[in-house]
Amino acid sequence: MAKLDGIELEIMWSNMISIVSEQARALQRIAFSPIVREAGDLATALFDADARMVAQAVTGTPGHINSLAAAAANIIGVIPAETLQPGDVLITNDPWMSAGHFFDITLLTPIFRNDRLIGYCGSTIHHTDIGGYGVGAGARDIHEEGLWIPSLKLYESGKPNETLHAIIRQNVRTPDAIFGDLSAQVSSGKMGGERLNAMCDRYGLDDIGELSREVISRAEASTRDDIRKLPAGTFHGETQFDVPGGEAITLKVALTIDNEAGEITVDFAGSSGPSASGINVVTAYTHAYSTFAIRSILNPELPNNAGSLAPIKVVAPTECIVNAQYPSPVNARHVVGMYVPFPILKALAQVVPEKVLAEGSGAVWTIQIQGRSSDGKPFTSSMFNYSGGMGARADKAGLSATCYPTGVAAVPIEVLEASIPIEFTRKEIAADTGGTGKYPGGNGQYVEFRLRSGNSWLLNALPSRLDSRAEGLFGAGSGEPGQFLINGTSSSEAKKLEMGADDLVLMRTPGGGGSGAA
Amino acid sequence: MTKYALAVDIGGTFTDAVLIASDGGSWTDKTLTTHDNLLDGFFRASQLVLDDAGIKLKDVNDVVAHATTIVTNVLIERKGAPAGLVVTSGFRDVLYIRDEHRYDMFDPQLEYADPLIPREHTWGLDERSYADGTIGKTVDEDDVQKIADDLAKENISSVAVCLLNSYRNPQNEHQFKALMSKIAPHVIVTLSSDVAPQMREYLRASTCAINAYAVSTTRPYLNALMEHLQNEGVEREPLIMLSNGGVIGAGVAGTYPVRMIESGPAAGALVAGHVARKNGIDNLLSFDMGGTTAKACLIQNGEPLVTGDFEVDRRYRFKPGSGMPITVPSIDMIEIGAGGGSVARVNNLGLLKVGPDSAGSNPGPACYGQGGEDACVTDADVVLGILDPEHFLGGDMPLDRAKAEASVQLLADKLGVSMLDAAYGVFSVVGESMAAAARAHATDRGVNYRGMPLFAFGGAGPVHACYVAERLDGTQIIYPPMASVLSAYGTLVTPARLDLARGGLSRLVDIDWAAVSPLIADLCAEGKAALNDAGIADDAIRYDFAADMRYVGQQTEVTVPLAGDPRDPDNQRELRQRYDVAYENLYGVKLDDMQVEVVSWRATARGGESERRPDIELAAQSAAPKTTRKVYIEGQSMDVPIFDRASLSVGQEINGPVIVEERETTAFILPGWRLSVHADGSLIANCD
Repeated sequence: MAKLDGIELEIMWSNMISIVSEQARALQRIAFSPIVREAGDLATALFDADARMVAQAVTGTPGHINSLAAAAANIIGVIPAETLQPGDVLITNDPWMSAGHFFDITLLTPIFRNDRLIGYCGSTIHHTDIGGYGVGAGARDIHEEGLWIPSLKLYESGKPNETLHAIIRQNVRTPDAIFGDLSAQVSSGKMGGERLNAMCDRYGLDDIGELSREVISRAEASTRDDIRKLPAGTFHGETQFDVPGGEAITLKVALTIDNEAGEITVDFAGSSGPSASGINVVTAYTHAYSTFAIRSILNPELPNNAGSLAPIKVVAPTECIVNAQYPSPVNARHVVGMYVPFPILKALAQVVPEKVLAEGSGAVWTIQIQGRSSDGKPFTSSMFNYSGGMGARADKAGLSATCYPTGVAAVPIEVLEASIPIEFTRKEIAADTGGTGKYPGGNGQYVEFRLRSGNSWLLNALPSRLDSRAEGLFGAGSGEPGQFLINGTSSSEAKKLEMGADDLVLMRTPGGGGSGAA
Repeated sequence: MTKYALAVDIGGTFTDAVLIASDGGSWTDKTLTTHDNLLDGFFRASQLVLDDAGIKLKDVNDVVAHATTIVTNVLIERKGAPAGLVVTSGFRDVLYIRDEHRYDMFDPQLEYADPLIPREHTWGLDERSYADGTIGKTVDEDDVQKIADDLAKENISSVAVCLLNSYRNPQNEHQFKALMSKIAPHVIVTLSSDVAPQMREYLRASTCAINAYAVSTTRPYLNALMEHLQNEGVEREPLIMLSNGGVIGAGVAGTYPVRMIESGPAAGALVAGHVARKNGIDNLLSFDMGGTTAKACLIQNGEPLVTGDFEVDRRYRFKPGSGMPITVPSIDMIEIGAGGGSVARVNNLGLLKVGPDSAGSNPGPACYGQGGEDACVTDADVVLGILDPEHFLGGDMPLDRAKAEASVQLLADKLGVSMLDAAYGVFSVVGESMAAAARAHATDRGVNYRGMPLFAFGGAGPVHACYVAERLDGTQIIYPPMASVLSAYGTLVTPARLDLARGGLSRLVDIDWAAVSPLIADLCAEGKAALNDAGIADDAIRYDFAADMRYVGQQTEVTVPLAGDPRDPDNQRELRQRYDVAYENLYGVKLDDMQVEVVSWRATARGGESERRPDIELAAQSAAPKTTRKVYIEGQSMDVPIFDRASLSVGQEINGPVIVEERETTAFILPGWRLSVHADGSLIANCD
């Protein structure tokens, strides 16, 4: 085909983004997993025949969307493209291949056009359960954390892989929900392929090779140009926070801007070593949050694809909490992963002070509850989460009860109360918990709940920043640390807690840092 | 005796009036909207058409129907009287915390609309209901008394009540309302269980707050309208167009302003449905493109699709998520930032982008000559030769071709193409983005858009519809008559309609039909009462039924139409099959092993089909083109014949490319299409 001009390219590029965005919306609407449906914890993307990400839906969380970018190539590295047939669907939840813990299952559907492979549709969603430990940081190695699905074919030429289906069904606590959501992923991949073919029909394309090269190279060139406008040098940033169990973590980065090549390298040397609890972060996930932090400051309006990510390199030493090695537990990797952007923002504050934001509360606080309802039936809730305050922007206050870097929503109280015997007694802004300053940090919030089952229950809670503060920027005050109280007494444990029937949990999520001297 | 029906549509810029007589006579006119007192414009526009017809207001002996933008204005301008909010104690910040979602993940600078009701006007009430419908604590009269005192102190006379789990059991909300009515009868109480009986506390609170905030403005407005009409001798209560595409008496409408937010656009979509039915077309896509946005709505089986959720007052770059969510039935419409004033530019990737920002009407496109320098869609249309600069608004507003060319030339330089190619690029990118939005919208709803006819109106709709239709594999476009007052006309072709729903959670296998029966009877009784109020006799009322169903474990329902009244055992069968079909249609998958449950039952009550139809006068003889013009189409300059719409006669057929001009718009038909003129005044373009 002839070389694409800026008019044709715009039309087809938008078409590809709308294909994946529709897939994401459909997946979210029909999901059984409340964290997907209510919170938007999912990602969808379109890849070219070389497994390079060419278009992606803008969905809830950087951890998924940027690690999905690498997943396609990783899976095709195991199951070679030449062996694929129409009707095949590939699956994995390998933390190192995709999104960093077992709950996130990635499906990849090859797209054929006239019997020739032209690309892939991929989706990652957070499933309700994956057996093993459940949500939480308490497993001692990765094998305790649940079912590990290597890169395999879930469907072969349109037929289900019965062996794999049986293994998954036997090893999860909520098989109906898992298979409901897997079916939705399968159908979404199929529809994405049909829609890409329809687009090729409309524009008379045999494949998307040329289109993909053009999209990726323009995005890469634009990102490099943006980096070239920055001053060269190495800038340092450091953040400290505490995690469940009280462990103090330090993340250090040296951010190097090479403004000749138009590249940024983020090096985590000097950060904390591996943790014994399940908060270790695989590099794909570290990469996801690092590239996200830089892109959200540098060029947030540029669509995400292999080209816009390429000029950003992320490195970490082997003995490091953000470079997890087998068999370290990784289940609650978001607890550390969601802090990854903060040292990067602090380094960037020296480069583009007008664009950055102060440190925020950090990771959303996630919770899962297991127990028996009043009639004795066992239940396992999905994971649900609450945000603290966001850091102030250079010339705007921080948002209260809203998270940066992730953008996930909270599961509504009424949805939770309808699905498990829980009763919320409070959910209100915690006034004055954001840092003071010309632009104050966002406030945290109070969330209080108990169970109504009359039975004892298990609580998996992942609060963080109970001792440390989100630092203010440019002379502003820091946010208040969080509080996690059981019957009025502070608690910070990395493991599941056994709770009495009448126990009351009160959380106060941390406030964000302010910006500018008041 | 001749019967006269009057319709008035108050939009952001114009107030349109249509008068239709039962003998086929019709009169239309428009005036500028009078923002200080909307009713001034209402009666001014009415007077114009009444004078033309030589009758008085009291001679309007059929309906007076009304669509209005008043609620949207109140919400966006925030000029309403303060309202209060009562929530379950412990949850006072529900409007501030929202759903915690950051709607644009990559943009840390994002903003949200401020809550309509601030924290200091929010009260916590010590009460509790649970998700299973049981009540943990009822409402104390003392607490209500205290809130009434506080409301009096703050001079607040409208209050929203949104208590946890009231979607499941509204008893505590009802109790609050009863007590408040006793203590402070002047306070208007909006219950969340009335306006939005849906799970999810933030959505419900937002909807309820919007109603309570708007009611202080809309109720006096509609009361004044009713009083004025009555004083003038109009006997029937005026009918108000609702967002769901129904009309309802002004008395009921005044209490539920949240149901009339999309009043005007809904009326436009209804005409599309009406014309579809008249022409024997089941499915079409209505396509309304104006100065700043384009709206599209799917018509299925002659009726616009209705949705449960939408958003108002998007505060940050028109982004979804930056406004206030509403959960009430509304015409299911997509609105995208693509209109005649949409700005075209080349971004730093070298891509040609059009919209969503708009040059508006001031400064407007470069060709308006009001100082705008950015090339807009209208500039490209002028450069291509589609629009005649001398004929814009019938020649009342000549456009500056040189300025249009200069602005497009700047784009061309950046793209490295000719000026004409750049103009055609703008034309195709904006057409493509509308087609893409329509495809996404249809796909989301499990509707096959391929080959669907288009119904084109709005100032820019007929200019761009043909290109959009080609991108949707369409083969037919309808250009309706009365396009400039289409929404006003729409209120007159609309049967009265009320959509009602009641929760009734049960697995399909366990449904207790004896318990469902009285619930359906309640729905029908409520619908009948409201329609009787709107002057509809019992025997003219029809009911349609549907059930919201889902697989057990999901929280999003699919509305499944039923074969008929579910109280009839014949209609109780095949629920599962109907659900599976609807679900597979939407999502391409069905889950045979999963249980299905009904979440709520729905009934729609409708008045009889209206037969108000104007006779459109057409020329007696086939017209010849008044001129020809060079138009640049896909790399080729072509001689295109130009017709005046008024000169066309019934049955006349013209091959594309052709341009048909009327005062407010220009229809541009591409090569390969054939235009024909129909007796009802519609132009219909077909291609093979």
